[in-house]
Amino acid sequence: MTMLEYDEEVNNCVCFCCGNNCDDITYLLKDKQIVGIRNACRLGASKVVCHPDQRLLNPMIRNEEGILEETTWDEALDKVAMLLSESIRPLLYGWSESSIESIKKGIKVSQLTGAVMDNSSTIYHGTTIQAFQNVGHPVTTYGEVKNRADVIIYVGTNPMSDHPRHLSKFTAFPKGFFRQGGRKDRQVITWDPKFTNTAKISDDWIQFNMNEDYYFFNALRTVLKGQKIDDEVAGVPKDKIMEMVNIMKNAECGVIFLGLGVSQTLSKQRNADILIRLIEDLNSYSKWSMLPMKGSLNVGGFNVALTSETGYPYGVDFARGYPRYMIGETTTIDLLNRREPDVFVSVSDDPVIQFPGYSIKHLVNIPVVQIGTTWGPITELSDVVLPSTNLGIETAGTVYRIDSVPLYMKKVVEEPRNCHSHEWIFIELYKRIQQLKCKGDN
Amino acid sequence: MKKMEVLINTGTTAKQVFHEKNGSTLKNDYRQVAAVVYMDPRDMEKLSIKPGDSVDVKTKWGHVTLYAKKSHDAPHEKMIFIPRGPWSNVVVSPETYCCSVPTYKGILGKISKSDKDVLLVKELINVNYNKYNNSNSESANDKPVYIKMR
Amino acid sequence: MEYILKRGIVFDPANNIDGEEKDILIKDNKIVEEVSNNAKEIDISGKLVMPGGVDLHSHIAGPKLATGRLYRPEDIRKGIKKASFGGVDGFEAGFSVPTCPATGYRYTRMGYTTVTEAAVPPLEAKDTHEQIKSIPNLDVPTLTLFGNNWFMLKFVKENNSQDLMLFISKWLKLTKGYGIKIVNPCGSEAWGWGKNVKDLDEPEPHWGVTGREVIRELTKVNEKLGLPHSVHVHTNDLGHPGNYETTLETFDCVKDIKKNKNVSRDQILHCTHIQFHAYKGTTWRDVSSGASELIDYINSHNHMTCDIGQLTFDETTTMTADGPMEYDLFKLTGLKWSNKDIEVETSSGLIPSIYSNKSPVSTLQWAVGLEFLLGVNDPWKIVLTTDSPNAAPFIRYPKIISWIMSNEKINDMLDNEVHSWATRRTSIAAYDKEYSWNEIATITRASPAKILGLNDRGHLGVGAKADVSVYDIDVNDFDPTSLQNSSVIEKKLLNTLYTIKDGEILVKEGNIVQLVDSNHIWCNVKGLEEREEDLINRIKPEFNKYYTINYENYGVCNHFIKPDTRIDVEYGD
Repeated sequence: MTMLEYDEEVNNCVCFCCGNNCDDITYLLKDKQIVGIRNACRLGASKVVCHPDQRLLNPMIRNEEGILEETTWDEALDKVAMLLSESIRPLLYGWSESSIESIKKGIKVSQLTGAVMDNSSTIYHGTTIQAFQNVGHPVTTYGEVKNRADVIIYVGTNPMSDHPRHLSKFTAFPKGFFRQGGRKDRQVITWDPKFTNTAKISDDWIQFNMNEDYYFFNALRTVLKGQKIDDEVAGVPKDKIMEMVNIMKNAECGVIFLGLGVSQTLSKQRNADILIRLIEDLNSYSKWSMLPMKGSLNVGGFNVALTSETGYPYGVDFARGYPRYMIGETTTIDLLNRREPDVFVSVSDDPVIQFPGYSIKHLVNIPVVQIGTTWGPITELSDVVLPSTNLGIETAGTVYRIDSVPLYMKKVVEEPRNCHSHEWIFIELYKRIQQLKCKGDN
Repeated sequence: MKKMEVLINTGTTAKQVFHEKNGSTLKNDYRQVAAVVYMDPRDMEKLSIKPGDSVDVKTKWGHVTLYAKKSHDAPHEKMIFIPRGPWSNVVVSPETYCCSVPTYKGILGKISKSDKDVLLVKELINVNYNKYNNSNSESANDKPVYIKMR
Repeated sequence: MEYILKRGIVFDPANNIDGEEKDILIKDNKIVEEVSNNAKEIDISGKLVMPGGVDLHSHIAGPKLATGRLYRPEDIRKGIKKASFGGVDGFEAGFSVPTCPATGYRYTRMGYTTVTEAAVPPLEAKDTHEQIKSIPNLDVPTLTLFGNNWFMLKFVKENNSQDLMLFISKWLKLTKGYGIKIVNPCGSEAWGWGKNVKDLDEPEPHWGVTGREVIRELTKVNEKLGLPHSVHVHTNDLGHPGNYETTLETFDCVKDIKKNKNVSRDQILHCTHIQFHAYKGTTWRDVSSGASELIDYINSHNHMTCDIGQLTFDETTTMTADGPMEYDLFKLTGLKWSNKDIEVETSSGLIPSIYSNKSPVSTLQWAVGLEFLLGVNDPWKIVLTTDSPNAAPFIRYPKIISWIMSNEKINDMLDNEVHSWATRRTSIAAYDKEYSWNEIATITRASPAKILGLNDRGHLGVGAKADVSVYDIDVNDFDPTSLQNSSVIEKKLLNTLYTIKDGEILVKEGNIVQLVDSNHIWCNVKGLEEREEDLINRIKPEFNKYYTINYENYGVCNHFIKPDTRIDVEYGD
């Protein structure tokens, strides 16, 4: 292997990839281009192994033959401004790779156009947020896990695969202030229907039946409260449940990380509800917290920015001139399933990768705008494409980690000549829509 | 053809996310990691499916052809796992039960061996959504098609 | 721009102006002696004029607020108001945890121009400053949490006052903080293990340091550095019957420490939301007011000040860095509990709270707050706060003012509205004091500005910042002591006729007419920079080991604090 040649190092960069936002990334540059990366995991390195033929470089509008055709920013922005100002039910979805600064600009556009603004919480940890709203919010930061926790439980999540550095950098493996032994000072337990990679490196794995998650959690709480349970619950033997409760009661400091395996199954919010209740009860014996394992870069940041501005975390409807938030009514999938939106703007997320096919089918009937960096499935359904920059590489901005710790991402290299940040795009759209509205008033 | 009733589980995998992040979703590489179904080896044996075979997965919401793969997370008989992506979305349930999150996990379905081809992303979109009447006979189905600025 | 506010009735206690008819002259952003002929005249004949309001303890921005909003949509729904038609102010949402813009609008309408965000965990200080950017029209000093920080505990344990001083001075720069906040010292750290400390002298489990040592050492550092504000303390044992003794000890534990000679404030200790720290008894069954003892102490000592944390009968949200206390409340009420421990620095928690005039405990708390307001002789020693939103949202200030200006009103409430514990378990019925407008101006303007050490505001003297509020009250034809007028006071004080900040008219004829970016006020100690760098080099390995972000990504960069006012403090050895 030849030595990598580079002429510049940019240190302490925040990774753009997942909600862990590792902030120790080093980019190696040659002639102002990234040629290498240090400390990142396989996912974090993915943007460096780029496919230049797939990068969106110029704005495009689909022509009458149904083929995308490159155009100028002026034309593309005017077209989107027109679509949004004429729309009666626009939906602006995505934002997980947008900075707080650009999300705030997006909120302004949503307000001006009476749009619904939503992010991927709506399909991932929305139910966890609903559980916070139902019963409580006992969370923590990563450092508390690293420094104190002696029992760590993963339920319905597989960070060994999805968040490759999570265990080694933040939770199970590193030496902490009160856990100088690192991994050997901690008990790691996985609850999952599958023997996941995380289960494989855990000290114990409890397999519960798919779709019977709630029964299992409820049984734990029942035992903790000193009540009787059946000999087997959700496929887990009674003894195992008793043993588990014992471990939890006797922990010095414990944390439950919960993933989509909890939030996306049939019991929905009730799963997180009961886990939070369990944690509240456990705090009478010892110290327990929980954290949802959010997937994308700035999903949590979106919730913070939206609550700061509108009071609600996601699925906010501005149609009436003030914000409304009604789960099942103003949330993306429900809107699409009811075939309600008449314009769909996808900001950095790809709905064709994320949404159920039945919901995607509505995108066939309405104009779709993609704001993103690469050609993807959504491009194939888009009528206008606006090429944007990569946050944390080509654009600076603020993001929030899984545990809501804010980080400021640097700009490392120049953006491609004709690409713009989300912030710039939404400032431009705002101006243009306002002009259209003024004209309409006269 | 032998069919088996299964519970379908979908979720992210590192390999699939890698291609989404680096923007190579149109390509075969992505198909190889996302248009797959992980099965318990004993289920595969029952259905005479070998790794790499095409299989059909069918639910109330749609059907899709995928490559079969041996699960490393077994045992989980009668439960199959499909990575999140355009393929799994065809068969997952859009029901949110008023909780905003559709049902991506624990969907009832049937699985059987197939003789159909596994489609690339573009082909899959044309077949399932067909927004612009594009046909699948065109070549270059793994490349962006657009008109450059004059 | 130049203005003459003509013939208002001015209350400016710092300059001994007590209800005089007087013109206020404004040039650019200052109060001046003379203006040119071009000055615009605004006729406010007979109307109530005060300096812009100063809130020295409120929770308006930061992670606690984010959580409060996120997990209480029911509270957001309570405060929905459409955007004013054709106005500059947008929609409002939220009651106890309003959105950032709504927070700005409401304070502006109340005539407040400076609001202190009272608890900022350094690790998440960026979040606080980011949210301040969404709040219009205020000057915001932020207080940085130090009372459970591991580096602080280590330096206190090692008796290393030099490094402790450098640490504080550097951390204020990193967090763009204005002053030192101490919350349940050692108790919030013990909460990392689900424990608490019961009083000033129970040691923290690992470092073995006590709350007394923490408060004393940080007070010494504060005075050594000569920070404009004193240490700002939320004492141990909040909200527990019998806690008044801990509070008394806290008052007393610093009295021998010498005040820095360069500062303008009188106090070396500010005890916040004193109402929550003034209960006698052993349980909530036999609880009674401990206010009298504390009032006696305050009246006879000059080294300390306090703010009230007055309660009103509302459903609100409590939020504090005192994590264990919030869990106690959860055990008491069973309402939805939020907790968040922040690595190396502090714990924090939230829980909704329903204060009812039918509830004995709420009523007792309500009366205890009023006892302080009516019992402390010198209004310069106290400040009107509700520890917003803990005891009440800040929009209740006008209501509280309407109570303390009218003995008739309080008696009416005691007779007809509130639970009998108010009279049976507190001395509230014994007071007959009624606040004058001048005293109101003191506890909402002059006193908080002085306690904070912000000498350019809280008064209307020449050279002061041109922050002025004018209310639609004809002072000389209005009797604030009458029962019927109490609702009028509340209404008028909720919405100014004019709010002027830095010489800019923000409210005109009762409507918000301008939005400006809020100003981040922070403290910069000069003269220690090299020694601070040396400290950082020494502690960086530990920092990077125990935090989960790198030191280089820890500080609040300038991006987050535009515009700002940097207050330079010269360090003199």
